Amino acid sequence: MTVMEAQPRADVAAASLTGEAYRLKVRDWLRNELPGSYRSDSPQFSPPTLEQSIAWEAAMHRAGLSGMTWPTSYGGHGRTLREHLIVNQEIGALAMPDSVNSIGKELAGPIILAIGTEEQKKRFLPAILQMRNIWCQGFSEPEAGSDLAGLRTRAVRHGDIWRINGQKIWTSGAARSQRCLLLARTGPVEDRHRGLALFAVPLDAPGVRVRTIKSIDGKESFCEVFFDDVEVAQLDALGAPDEGWAAAIRVLEIERATNRMYRAWRFENELRHLISACKTDTVLAGLLADSHYAVRLAETVVDIEVLKAHVETAVDVLVNGGSIGARGSLAKLHWSEAHQRFAMLAMELLSKAPLPLAPSVKVALRRFEGIYLASRAETIYAGTTEIQLGIIADRILALSKGR
Amino acid sequence: MAMTEDGLSPADFAATAARAIAACAGFTARQQAERLGGDGLLGVTANEEVGGLGLSAAFAVPVAAAAGSGLLGFPLLETLLLGRLLQAPLPDVSRALVSGASCATIAWTNAVTAKAQGDLILLSGCIGRAPCAADADWLLVRVGDDATALVPATTSGVVLEGPTGLDLTMPEYTVRLDHVSIAERNLLPAGTWPLLQSDALVLRAAAIMGSAEACLVMAQEHASTRRQFGHALAYNQAIRHALARHKLGLESIRHAITRSLFGEAGALERNAAFLAAASHGVAISQGALQVHGGMGFTWDVPIHRHLRRILALQAQGDASGLLRALGQRYVTEIEPSSEAVA
Repeated sequence: MTVMEAQPRADVAAASLTGEAYRLKVRDWLRNELPGSYRSDSPQFSPPTLEQSIAWEAAMHRAGLSGMTWPTSYGGHGRTLREHLIVNQEIGALAMPDSVNSIGKELAGPIILAIGTEEQKKRFLPAILQMRNIWCQGFSEPEAGSDLAGLRTRAVRHGDIWRINGQKIWTSGAARSQRCLLLARTGPVEDRHRGLALFAVPLDAPGVRVRTIKSIDGKESFCEVFFDDVEVAQLDALGAPDEGWAAAIRVLEIERATNRMYRAWRFENELRHLISACKTDTVLAGLLADSHYAVRLAETVVDIEVLKAHVETAVDVLVNGGSIGARGSLAKLHWSEAHQRFAMLAMELLSKAPLPLAPSVKVALRRFEGIYLASRAETIYAGTTEIQLGIIADRILALSKGR
Repeated sequence: MAMTEDGLSPADFAATAARAIAACAGFTARQQAERLGGDGLLGVTANEEVGGLGLSAAFAVPVAAAAGSGLLGFPLLETLLLGRLLQAPLPDVSRALVSGASCATIAWTNAVTAKAQGDLILLSGCIGRAPCAADADWLLVRVGDDATALVPATTSGVVLEGPTGLDLTMPEYTVRLDHVSIAERNLLPAGTWPLLQSDALVLRAAAIMGSAEACLVMAQEHASTRRQFGHALAYNQAIRHALARHKLGLESIRHAITRSLFGEAGALERNAAFLAAASHGVAISQGALQVHGGMGFTWDVPIHRHLRRILALQAQGDASGLLRALGQRYVTEIEPSSEAVA
């Protein structure tokens, strides 16, 4: 049975369970419905195609496992952030492929919820959750990565139409997306962070051109997107000019702390997979028993527990009505660096496997080579390590920058 | 996550503890015990029958953190732990400790042997890292693998050596016991040592957090006020980033401690809290010393006292041994891959 044909066996969406009962229901559904070949720790692993990913994520949504906290009137499930955390913990425990629409679900959606018009919410949000619209994020530019004040892509209003010209880069997944959450300059460059507005640009609009970029891990997820006199209706402008970006920043702060919350638990899945694979080989099993590697593995365990603590604290703060603010940078910084350390440890251990490679070691090598290469980007995307350190120094420690 | 019990909040204890600890400056051990006991800080987790408050470990955390931050020269952690451990088997001793009438400490490394002789138990051996043992009326020692014994410090055959170790404000002693006789009821059963160690992990983490936070505050203050090449040190990006990393370390300790106190937290979470504190705490205090430059290397700047305290706490909890054991246990618990994924 394909996923397209699959019907959820347990309707988690309708379950009025809480706490552990809810967790077990979620766990049961995921373990029964997720095809074994989608799990990257499986010997049968075969990455899903785009169509399969879309079908799987749509099935997850029907089962109540995405759009968790969004209102039901916009296709969400009206659940609590704590339930969202439970779902993330269970997703992380399985070596499931990353969402192909995380930008839609974790960035565009929350921003539209915060600043979109009622019409936009009705039009965009259900389409994101039902996987009818995949979104990409058009923030970075060749001359402006983390420094958004340097953005040059320009939007000029002509009545009910905005005309957009410019270029975006590092636009993950643009080639498979229907919409781009575009940040463009509506005021003069001298205004830096002011005069920036957000748009939901349809990628099939005349004048949009997408070029893929091959990345270090051999994938073609990154893209350049060129906008040549692209006309975007006022209906697709998100928030008022000059205000859209400020509102988006507030959403981004929460998102930095809470998006892909499953990472801590996925990290744990990766560590367990590494150990279980090494244990099938006599030489590697011997290394695990070595006190040097026992210490380094334990350091990874502590890193993972600390990451869980950061994530759970953020959820507590939000549930109790607090704001995350710049503290999202703490979790991001810790996660990205700890995961890089772990990826290097995994490569080091697996490189010592004797030939011929045991089948489980082959599976692990394929997974961890990908994880290692992808991890090099983790201290770059979503604000580089240096940017995060700057945010912590400026906004949490309030260190003086003046003379 | 319930943060209050009977209308009390851990934050209230932080303020009370900070005041009491500041007031202890210049006091003898006995005077400190009376002051801290009088404020109810020594019996936070002991039950009400022995004069304690019967609160959860969450309420002892801010007290331990304040002791670290204020460089308290009194075995507060040991007193908190013993007040609770002894409340059932030796309630009179527990009551005296909680009120501050008596002082006690724990020797954190090595174990002694015990031999029955009539109604008495004879203890022999050498144990170490007993903070402030010279001021203690009672000394808890490990017996064999996992039992403990409470020894009156003035008993014949108890010999203190030291002080040793780096901690100047809470000196550690090595103790030799040569056929020291104690009453049978002072020999506590198997399992008391692991219990004590487990409870100590979180309190040590909290004490390290207090010290590390004090170091970071001093480093921030210094970086903001000390000028070089026409700028405050904080103008320098290398300094800003170093301090930002220390802030991440400090918050990692804080969140790991919080996580270890609630929900279904167990040994893994307590280990993680202590190990995060041991590693980040040392880095933060060493980093604060570096930010202070040559001044950090002087007796005048108290960062060295915190660094000494953190290193002592790290050693008392055997952080490196615990880390290795955690790794070995974690590896043991994971099954080898099977060909099929369930």
